Amino acid sequence: MHDINFQSFIDSDNSPFILFDNQGKIRYLNNSAEILLGYVSKTELYNIALQYAPQSFGVKTTTLSLNYDNFSFYAITVGYECEEQIYIRFYHAPRVKQSIKIDNTKLILTDINLLLEANITLFKSKYNIPLSLLTDPDIPKFKIDQNRFSKLLRKVFEIFKDAKEVSIYLKFLVGEHIIINNKRYHIVQLGIKASERIDNTHSDISALAKECFISLLLKENAIVLEIPLLID
Amino acid sequence: MYNFISNSSTIQDIIKGLNLTKGLFVSSIIIGEAHIGKKGLISSIFGDLPMVSAKDTEILKDTLQHHNELIITDFEHIQNTPITLLEDKKIIATANYITNQNIIDDIFAFIYHMPSLKDRKEDILYLTDLYIKEAQKILSDNNDTDINIDDIDIDLQQNTKSLKSSIYKYILNKSMNKEDIKKSLYNYIYKHIDGNNAYKEFLDIYEEPLIKAGLARYHSQLKLSSILGINRNTLRKKILEHKIDA
Repeated sequence: MHDINFQSFIDSDNSPFILFDNQGKIRYLNNSAEILLGYVSKTELYNIALQYAPQSFGVKTTTLSLNYDNFSFYAITVGYECEEQIYIRFYHAPRVKQSIKIDNTKLILTDINLLLEANITLFKSKYNIPLSLLTDPDIPKFKIDQNRFSKLLRKVFEIFKDAKEVSIYLKFLVGEHIIINNKRYHIVQLGIKASERIDNTHSDISALAKECFISLLLKENAIVLEIPLLID
Repeated sequence: MYNFISNSSTIQDIIKGLNLTKGLFVSSIIIGEAHIGKKGLISSIFGDLPMVSAKDTEILKDTLQHHNELIITDFEHIQNTPITLLEDKKIIATANYITNQNIIDDIFAFIYHMPSLKDRKEDILYLTDLYIKEAQKILSDNNDTDINIDDIDIDLQQNTKSLKSSIYKYILNKSMNKEDIKKSLYNYIYKHIDGNNAYKEFLDIYEEPLIKAGLARYHSQLKLSSILGINRNTLRKKILEHKIDA
């Protein structure tokens, strides 16, 4: 029994797992937790582990709602067997499986940087707001409904029309995927951030994003689009 | 292909945006007052696409049935065209104003607002110079016609249309000889002569510019009366009569 390598199971487990020392430093984390730490600080997670730890040595599972961008958890397990280390495991909230029909006739292989530049140009022609752009020019072309996606970008940019400063980034999300119709697709993330709070209560943006198979994350001062890299 | 030139930074952005999306299947519209160059700008970039006015409903319907990519001008008149015909098309459009924001919002990915000429000081200077040269070439035998831009009563109410008109009128006036003036007067008088005091009324048309131009050139009433060969008091009386600042 002791010959079984449990670490490899935990490594590849879809549930984030983190082992902290008693100073809050990470001693071990699995692949899923690595991705989670792109959205939340280790300090915040360590504090949660301390807050929900069992009163004495052992394991305690608590049902609660935790949301970090598109991560949504319904429970955590916190355990420790000595004073030196404590672990936390997160349980993903089940997602409603969406059956999306992809209409390939409207999808055209597109350089997203080109569409982004055109939308930035449109925004600049209307508003005199300083913009900064951090992009990855090596993102490969992928299939997109060019008109619908551009409409979405226009509406998203319009939300920032009163901002004092806007920063935009476009990056390839390493190790993350989205599953559409049982197919795994890489994700490109487009973030638009303002220096202050924005009014992001625009319902038609969500509908447009859904039509483009895009996950939309509305934050206090930012909007993040997670775009599937459809190539076939 | 039509060559569109503008020094306005906003229009440079619009040109850049349209060029970036030229090869993509996206619909764009330029909205702005009449006679600001919308059609020219679009022709310079999408000159190979069929162009049809939304005013010509039947022609538009026919073009939509046979083409997936087209230019629609006067988009404010689109009401009589079924919107379903516009779906899944690449439409490049111009509109003088917005009649239905929802339709525009639904069809077009890129909505550009083109500034009026009065808000494009860089272009006013450029176009004034361009139209002067054009008018001189057409209306005047002599390109060295004494032009003073400050003397031109530039009218921007109807953007390029009124600007061009005011420049052409100025150059035409500058280039007219005695015979042209006589013909113009003849045509004007022929059209308007009636009533019972026409002699006096039409003499005023000649007399007022005669005194104004004379005063502008010689500054002195005494000198002008001598040049005109009339009594100084008579000249004074006519200055008052025509309410000329002297």
